[in-house]
Amino acid sequence: MKHWMFCCKDVSQKFSESMDRKLPLDDRIFIRFHQLMCRYCSRFRRQLLLLRELSRSDNIAGMPQDFSAGLSLEARERIKASLKA
Amino acid sequence: MENASLLNPDVWVDQYGDILFRFALQRIGDTGIAEELVQETFLAAMRAKDRFKGQSSEKTWLFGILKHKIVDHYRRRKYDHLDMNVENFSETTDKFFSDNGKWRIQPTSWNINPVEAHEQREFMDAFYQCLSQMPQRLADAFVYREVDGLSTEEIRKVMDITASNCWVMLYRARMLLRRCIETNWTQT
Repeated sequence: MKHWMFCCKDVSQKFSESMDRKLPLDDRIFIRFHQLMCRYCSRFRRQLLLLRELSRSDNIAGMPQDFSAGLSLEARERIKASLKA
Repeated sequence: MENASLLNPDVWVDQYGDILFRFALQRIGDTGIAEELVQETFLAAMRAKDRFKGQSSEKTWLFGILKHKIVDHYRRRKYDHLDMNVENFSETTDKFFSDNGKWRIQPTSWNINPVEAHEQREFMDAFYQCLSQMPQRLADAFVYREVDGLSTEEIRKVMDITASNCWVMLYRARMLLRRCIETNWTQT
């Protein structure tokens, strides 16, 4: 298929694939061009990247104060005991 | 290899227990369950510690295990009956597009700041609930790729699939997860 014929369905598939392997340069250029022109594909791109960022994040900063507590002493001892069992 | 010398269960609880607990509590919202998941994480890590290759830090490795446990928890809790099979799932992705390939179900705007997204309980709740609703193999592929950061080649070997199958499964997983979050997350 010619690049200029890429529709939203093709672009969504190609963009997802680009997150898993490096696509040829011309594919990347036409996908990006389509995404710049199409607000729905642009949203789709941003949202998939957000899902990746959230999936990989271990960030717990900014939680409410009541989340600042850690394991209770009892839980800590119980877990340590289970690891030695 | 960060902290590799500390790959020792005896010091895990003191070093990582609190941060894993807070992460689980933020996702689950129940102290008792969060403690259980942390305990399961440490036990699973201890069983698998010989396979820890040091490609990631010890902390990242433990977080990866905890995230699997959180997904398992949501799946166990109440979403088993919604599991779909993979064969039917191509129809599920096709429905997003019209015959000419344009969006039929258009992605809506998400009113969320990526920097703050992980702090938004409602969003992350929808994220984990939706992940737990997906067909098991699609969810597995997604978690291997996006949570664990495995390469296509590694996933291909673990799941015994071809590379092109892997890309298709990841596409379907992302489509389903994105749409499910959009449908179930109540934006504030």
